[in-house]
Amino acid sequence: MTAAIALAEVSFRYGARDILSGFALSVAPGEVVALLGPSGSGKSTVLRLVLGFAVPARGSVHLGDEIVSKDGKTLVPPEDRHLAVVFQDLALWPHLTVHANLAFGLGPGKRRGEHEARIRELLARVGLAGKEKHYPGELSGGERQRVAIARALVMEPRAILLDEPLSNLDVSLKRDLLGTFRELFKERKSTVVYVTHDLREAASLGDRIAVIEHGEVVQQGTLDLLRAQPASGFIRGLVQDLSWTGRPGT
Amino acid sequence: MNQRLHRHEQTLFLAGAAAILVLFSIAPWLQPLGEIAAARENSLALLASSRVWMLLLRSLLLSSAVTALALLIGLPLGVLFGRMDVPLRRALWVAHAFPMFLPPFLLALGWFHLLGRQGLLGGESTAALLFSEVGLVFVLGVTLAPIVTSLVAVGVMGVDASLEEAARLVARPWRVATHILLPAASPAIALAAIVVFALALSELGVPMFLRVDVFPAAVFARLGGVDYAPGEAFALALPLVPVAACLLILERRFVGRHSYAVLGLRSGARAPLPLRRLRAPLTAAATIASIVSVAPIAALAIRASRGSGGVATILDWSRRAPLNGVLAAAAAASGISAIGLIVGHAAARRERGASVLDALSVLAFVTPASVLGVGLIAVWNRAATQMIYGTLAILVVGYMARYVAVGVRVVASSVSQSPVHLEEAAAAHGAHFARRLFRIVLPLHARGVMFAWLLAAVFCMRDLETAVLFYPPGGEPLTVRIFTLEANGPESVVAGLALLQVGMTLAVLGLGAFAFLWRRAP
Repeated sequence: MTAAIALAEVSFRYGARDILSGFALSVAPGEVVALLGPSGSGKSTVLRLVLGFAVPARGSVHLGDEIVSKDGKTLVPPEDRHLAVVFQDLALWPHLTVHANLAFGLGPGKRRGEHEARIRELLARVGLAGKEKHYPGELSGGERQRVAIARALVMEPRAILLDEPLSNLDVSLKRDLLGTFRELFKERKSTVVYVTHDLREAASLGDRIAVIEHGEVVQQGTLDLLRAQPASGFIRGLVQDLSWTGRPGT
Repeated sequence: MNQRLHRHEQTLFLAGAAAILVLFSIAPWLQPLGEIAAARENSLALLASSRVWMLLLRSLLLSSAVTALALLIGLPLGVLFGRMDVPLRRALWVAHAFPMFLPPFLLALGWFHLLGRQGLLGGESTAALLFSEVGLVFVLGVTLAPIVTSLVAVGVMGVDASLEEAARLVARPWRVATHILLPAASPAIALAAIVVFALALSELGVPMFLRVDVFPAAVFARLGGVDYAPGEAFALALPLVPVAACLLILERRFVGRHSYAVLGLRSGARAPLPLRRLRAPLTAAATIASIVSVAPIAALAIRASRGSGGVATILDWSRRAPLNGVLAAAAAASGISAIGLIVGHAAARRERGASVLDALSVLAFVTPASVLGVGLIAVWNRAATQMIYGTLAILVVGYMARYVAVGVRVVASSVSQSPVHLEEAAAAHGAHFARRLFRIVLPLHARGVMFAWLLAAVFCMRDLETAVLFYPPGGEPLTVRIFTLEANGPESVVAGLALLQVGMTLAVLGLGAFAFLWRRAP
């Protein structure tokens, strides 16, 4: 089966520093992959390469059967990749209402009725029915997170990429949202890359965890595999921390 | 006692800045009211004349037309130079923007040498158009458009990268620019419109040169011309007061604290948005706009090269005017930066009373220069203050009065981009306000303060409409010297003097750029 997302032999430099070198990763359709790594390991760069905001100096990025960038060239611009993203700061457009934030990517067109129904359904699904006319600044932190995930899903993208979207939230809200994310991804069979530095989040959401250190994947698999055979000191440390504080919440 | 003084250091600093602001910028507002009360009946009777109000309406309409044209040119160019992949966009931006640092009447002079009856590209019809309301709107619109361009470009560059990237995943670059970047930069657009309108309404040199009757010229004529009647000048300044108040209200409503973000260059490292098929035509349009901006300067250079008698002759004609202008501008810019540091820092940190001081500084900037000018005369032209009124010091006072907002806003913008924790940590380590200001805030924001100084100096150097009302005998700056010679001096010499002004402005900007880059080096 063709991977939904694949990075092959990707190298990327920022200034004089090698961020990724010969990096490879593939994500199957409908799979949720948690990309785990310490700060500066290159995990956000992987996301930016897939999204098209960065171009690999060498190697290629594939979406399904299509090569979207290769050897320093963008072959498919970001807006034509049919991806969605949830940034750490959510990037909700402050001058647009909740409804307009969701509708922006759908654009005007003949299928307006269908779009409206989709927006209504999604907002109800994430518990934001009745908040259509609110601006992001009028919402709570949790509600803003829900708008961000609804905005990503409303596009029915080929994959959703999330860059540490829950890093600034308290534990109970994080658990609540992780549950919502898991349900939404499962019912929509979404292909997801979820970047985090928290093993608890990675294990709670990911079908597979890929650990990046110094620009390369050092280990990938389930939480049990990481526990049984940690491939690096970083992973061993994370697993030990997890043992101290118990299994990841569901 | 010492301890108590330390505790109130910030209040004392702010009170000092407030005293200077009130004395320089606000007293000139209030003084004419008293003068009008004491004026003869015929001075006040002037306001009953419908001609006065029609002239005001005409000036307001012309300023609105100039603002509309500047927005029409500046909005798309701001987006193109700020975020689109136009080749050489920074160089084109610099070429397009440079004229905004020059006195507009200098560029009118350049347009005259291009489109006047005997101009390089001119004839009867172009001359007729130039010396009309259409010509006035064109010259001022083109001259002031770079203000819109630059504020919009800086505004769209400052929009958070993630807002743009989230949009880019679902929309074409042009839609991202028009639906996400421009609305996010709307405070910059509002600020640009207000600044352009205020400058256009204050403008004296261009309408007088192009012989278009406007309100500030009527005030000027009563202060130094054949219609000398200072009482009437005070009366004429009165209708402009509510106009300034309206501009202040608009600024508070649509810009206010947002201007701090407007001025910030938060994220310049992003790749520009691709124009694709539109790249060639839009690059051509941007290039033409830049050429049009510098065309009048080129015309001045050509005219100066034909019979000006060389550099020595030009310097001879200039007398002490270049030195007067530079000295007054440098002193005023230093004062503006100092007040900007205190008030701008307080405004960025939302200290009590700072927003009022910020508003007062903006009020002085948007007040038509003729109001400020006659007010400054009323306040300072008395026996006890001849030490100031009769010397270059009055130029420094006038420049500071009008342009202090530049320092306040630039410093506030710089300070608001650094976390308050840095100052709080210093406070926790026992540093009182003055120590925090000079040891933490100033070094951290040295570039911002330097930029404030530079911008203030350039604004002062380009000023004509304030200085022309009260320059001291033998103390005229170069802008005033050119303006007075323009009517009866040799054309080529006047063009040469205009080039001297261009050169001086370039030198100050170059010095600033050098210092800016030098400070940036680790």
